[in-house]
Amino acid sequence: MSVLILEYIAIVFLFGGFFFLLVGVVGLLRLPDVYTRMHAMGKCDTLGAGLILVALMLLIWDVTNITKLVLILSMIATINPIITHLIAKTAYNRGTPMAEGSYLINDYVASQRRRRRARVEEIKKGDENDK
Amino acid sequence: MINTILYSIVVGLIIISIICIFRAYAGPTVLDRVVAMNVITTNVVMIILIFAYIDRSLYYIDVAFVFVLGAFIGTLCILKLLREGHII
Repeated sequence: MSVLILEYIAIVFLFGGFFFLLVGVVGLLRLPDVYTRMHAMGKCDTLGAGLILVALMLLIWDVTNITKLVLILSMIATINPIITHLIAKTAYNRGTPMAEGSYLINDYVASQRRRRRARVEEIKKGDENDK
Repeated sequence: MINTILYSIVVGLIIISIICIFRAYAGPTVLDRVVAMNVITTNVVMIILIFAYIDRSLYYIDVAFVFVLGAFIGTLCILKLLREGHII
């Protein structure tokens, strides 16, 4: 009886996880930009994988294997945000164009470049004054 | 009943992976392909775990764990190559 209840809860979790994976892939297919595609992938994929892993924990119901599944869940939940962050940083540093109509409010790299350019011009002026 | 549902979810994950392969083929930049391969990796890990339960051969959980770590290192190397031009 209790095994049947666990199976029903696991079925709910399985379909929830599959739904979130499907939503993430639809976002990956339909959105116009690297950044927005990453935004769809990074969250929906982690949540869907986590829900399917919880469902498999309920189905297997064994201490050693539940420990391994918790380990895999924690690895996915740390690795996926790291990878998403690095992809975003790489795309930003490579100057990948954004979709039309989007803009940056606080552009860190552009402000750094502006500051570096101003410093170089100050040094040049100092050299000319020395001469 | 539970086996039928698990098989249907495996089929759905395979269809999702095929859609991701389309994005990896048509993506305009390299990073689109990296994102699509990341999604395919997660789907493959889920398929391995579901088959580990269906066949009751639970040692495949270790295989899935190693797969997660290997995919992480691979994606990290690709991103370092794209950012700096060399890996080591």
